[in-house]
Amino acid sequence: MAKRASIARRTIATPVILCVILLGLALLALWTGSKPFNQTIIEIFLRVILVVGLYIFVGNSGVISFGHIGFTCLGAYAAAWLTIPPMMKGISMPGLPDWLMQTQLPYWAAAGLAALFAAVFAAIFGRILMRLSGIAASIATFAMLAMIITIYSNWESVTAATSSVIGIPIVRTIWPYLIGAVLTVFVAWGHAISRSGLALRAARDEPTAAAASGVDIACERLIAFTLSGGVMGLGGALFAHSIGVVTPDTFYLGLTFTTLSMLVVGGMGSLSGAVLGVVILSSLIQVLRWLEKGVQIGDSTLAIPNGLQEIALGVVMILILVFRPAGIMGNSELHWPLARAEEPGHGDT
Amino acid sequence: MTRRGIWTIALSTTALCASAGWAQDDKIIVGFATAESGFMQAYDKPAQDAAMIRIGEINAAGGLLGQQIEVVTADTKTDRAEGAKAGLTVVDAGADLVVVSCDYDFGSPAALAAESSGKVSFFLCAESIKAGIQGVGPNSFSASVLAAVQGATMAEWAYNKKGARNFYRLLDTWTEYNKGICDGFDYMLPKLADAKLVGEDTFKNEDASIAAQITRIKSLPAEPDAIMLCTMMPGAVSAIKQIRAAGINAMILNGSGVDGSYWLSAVPDLSNFYVPVQGSIYGDDPNPDVTAFNGKYKEATGGDPSTQYVYPGYVMIDVWAKAVERAGTTETAAVVAELEKMKDEPTLFGPRTFTNEIHHQNRARYLIVETNAGKPAVVDEWTISEPIPVADLMK
Amino acid sequence: MAGLLQTLFDALSLGSLYALGALGIALIFGVMRLVNFAHGDVISFSVFALLWPSIDAVAVVFAGNLPWFLLVPFTLTMGAGLAVASELLVFRRFRRANPATMMIASFALGFVIRYFLLMLFSSRPKSISLLPALSQPVEVFGARIPLLQVIIIGATLLILVGLTSFLKRTRYGLEMRAAAENFTMARMLGVRANRVIMGAFALSGALAAAIGLILAAQTGTADIQMGGAVMLMAFIATVIGGLGSLPGAVLAGFLLGAASVVMQVVLPAEARVFRDAFVYGAVIVVLIWRPQGLLSARGTKERV
Repeated sequence: MAKRASIARRTIATPVILCVILLGLALLALWTGSKPFNQTIIEIFLRVILVVGLYIFVGNSGVISFGHIGFTCLGAYAAAWLTIPPMMKGISMPGLPDWLMQTQLPYWAAAGLAALFAAVFAAIFGRILMRLSGIAASIATFAMLAMIITIYSNWESVTAATSSVIGIPIVRTIWPYLIGAVLTVFVAWGHAISRSGLALRAARDEPTAAAASGVDIACERLIAFTLSGGVMGLGGALFAHSIGVVTPDTFYLGLTFTTLSMLVVGGMGSLSGAVLGVVILSSLIQVLRWLEKGVQIGDSTLAIPNGLQEIALGVVMILILVFRPAGIMGNSELHWPLARAEEPGHGDT
Repeated sequence: MTRRGIWTIALSTTALCASAGWAQDDKIIVGFATAESGFMQAYDKPAQDAAMIRIGEINAAGGLLGQQIEVVTADTKTDRAEGAKAGLTVVDAGADLVVVSCDYDFGSPAALAAESSGKVSFFLCAESIKAGIQGVGPNSFSASVLAAVQGATMAEWAYNKKGARNFYRLLDTWTEYNKGICDGFDYMLPKLADAKLVGEDTFKNEDASIAAQITRIKSLPAEPDAIMLCTMMPGAVSAIKQIRAAGINAMILNGSGVDGSYWLSAVPDLSNFYVPVQGSIYGDDPNPDVTAFNGKYKEATGGDPSTQYVYPGYVMIDVWAKAVERAGTTETAAVVAELEKMKDEPTLFGPRTFTNEIHHQNRARYLIVETNAGKPAVVDEWTISEPIPVADLMK
Repeated sequence: MAGLLQTLFDALSLGSLYALGALGIALIFGVMRLVNFAHGDVISFSVFALLWPSIDAVAVVFAGNLPWFLLVPFTLTMGAGLAVASELLVFRRFRRANPATMMIASFALGFVIRYFLLMLFSSRPKSISLLPALSQPVEVFGARIPLLQVIIIGATLLILVGLTSFLKRTRYGLEMRAAAENFTMARMLGVRANRVIMGAFALSGALAAAIGLILAAQTGTADIQMGGAVMLMAFIATVIGGLGSLPGAVLAGFLLGAASVVMQVVLPAEARVFRDAFVYGAVIVVLIWRPQGLLSARGTKERV
């Protein structure tokens, strides 16, 4: 036990630094007082939750999962079911069971329940899928995502199918999202330094040796899968509250690849990489969008042609990966410059 | 090209200046939170260009309430989250009217942003019942006609004018728009004495092959009189191609989504094909002012209107400006009240009615365009006998 | 009887499409262990290469008007060209990288290609009339089948036979198979890595172009996202078939196509919209039952 506490003390710097960065962004939003910019920062926090959720599983186990956004979808719809006024639910989703129809909870309670809902499904799916390894597991998770989206896109009475689900209370203040992001970072850190996280990373690096040392790989993966599923569910619920409408196709390939790219570009095996990947790529996207809108320099307006933003983003991502194939942070974490001591499980691999 | 370039620069500069932050009470500002890039751009831009033509006309005639209308824009990039931001941006810039994307799913985030700021929002050409009170709030309207009206119009017209009795229903499950068309068809069919539904099937817009669905049609005892095809681009072309290639020559009835001649080269010599439109882009509209408008559109943008979805943009600014004139102010509650008083208000593309129950058209005059040997032309005009009740639309 | 035959042909033609796609992906995966997410965009690019860049609603066809014996090689060359260019510019730098990095790089590349096409052509799908004579139906044992379907099935079989003999009988093919089995060893034995990889990309690009032609002829539309649906299924088929195994990829492609068509025919009307859910469920079952794929290639089985 003393060992665990000392690991915690040595690595606590990482999540704290990351949370300070996030807090800085939130304060920036408050200082500019601009509603669209506020919305941009909310988006960044949401992506942090999703990408860190991905990291919990993908980073620690080395298995690339294409299906995690399915849990985001589950969480978003669960939040919708729990927070939309009963009368509106009756019209658009008449097939819901009575007790669900009558429920209307405050958004933070709904978010918690949504995370739980997603975690339960992650446990069920995970039980089936965790036996697989490598690319077979990746494809299986993709098939799971596709199944979830197909079912949600067609089960009219319960999810309103491809119809937008409306009436979700919109939350435009920045604090709930900041709290969600901070919570996620600490949960990820806690899992990473826990026994299960260490065992999982051992299995990622040397599956044979880990198995020979008594690590139950499938079990450890299942724990990470469930935890990350819950976090994705939380992200989904908060996403629903940031926009006010949900449709199944929001949670498909586009979001999958956006979050995976941010994770890989930031550094797949590192929590700091996950957060920094989001922050850096999101800032890049914003800068490119401002350039597209046109920047006033003196008397003239400098603007890049419309549509160039996405192309530039793709090119930059490729360039980052060319020069740093393991991502911006690689496998290392952010820590205080003074604390150079060896950190088990967090050193450069 | 140059004109568009100048417009873009002018609008961007205006947007930048306007987004300096403070709302202007002594100016009338129309905010466009629409897609200037991404795949919705192909649908938003034409309608927006038409809206700009109307704004230009009003400004040339002395402006609205004596003031010139100014325009601010924000790009939604065909992304919902970005759409919410775009809505917030134009509201911050002082917009009195927030115009949002042509599709409910993509326009609603911006519309919701406008609604929560107490501004009037108008969907450029959304045809879902949700684009209005039911899906956004009491200050939201749509400039186009409900998809259900298209399905109902085609069913009634084919029954009355073409003697169609046996109908087959083929639904593309991709979007709400498609389902809306078929919902209207389902509503109308029981009202037509001895009209029968001989079969139905579904497909997905992205399916490269609908062979199985076609086999089902071909295995019916007799070819149906009419096939109600509830679909839209791009999958519509493939579906129509395959239906005709299989030797099924029955009437094909559609929604307005397949209007336009730009795709006809893919199905050469198409015949027996019917589309409802609000106005004709082919130069043969019974109202000569529409053809004149087509000319103006060509002059302003460099090309003819490619589909009838250009027209709702014009109608939108038209009715909003009238409501503002009658209310004497741009204040939301007054404008909404004036809009809700409009009953069969004449516009260039047919009468428009808004009530406090529905801010959309559940009944409209449609022109029926028949494509014969690959050439589309207006052959008839039809308005459904009664408006579709809101309860049936919301099911 | 005619209905059954019809269904059989439908299944075969959809399966051929997926099989061709799976082959394209399996070729590159075999030599580089790279899942090429840009493949779908190579498909779209090959079709758009037939049109003159314009954002008007009507497509300005320039190469699409060529007679078929010029059109087909032209398209295949464009597809192969783009694939080789992507290898030279992008993938060459990632030879040593881990799978995740390569995947994301290929996805970013596909992203760039797609938005480049969007900028040139706008998002409105363009209609093209490609080889219209192929849409005419032919009578085969009482079933009316579009000539195009027959050609697809025939062309796929020809390509498969051609590719198999190329791989088994020519030296180049031998080098490719060796590289697919064990890249390092093959290099040590004198196989020129760059040549083999470029060849694999060229072949894969040509296959993508072939799929593009088929889709364009079948649907009459050129749409930026047209390659996406096929590519997803091809990706799944490659894995189910057994990574690195070309026959496995083809077999799995046919099976997936058959499954999709059979579901469409057999399911009752209310369940038909869930057709894809059943197909994906079947995929998961297959993966659990045989994680290494239906026909695993030699040398890809994990030793421990």
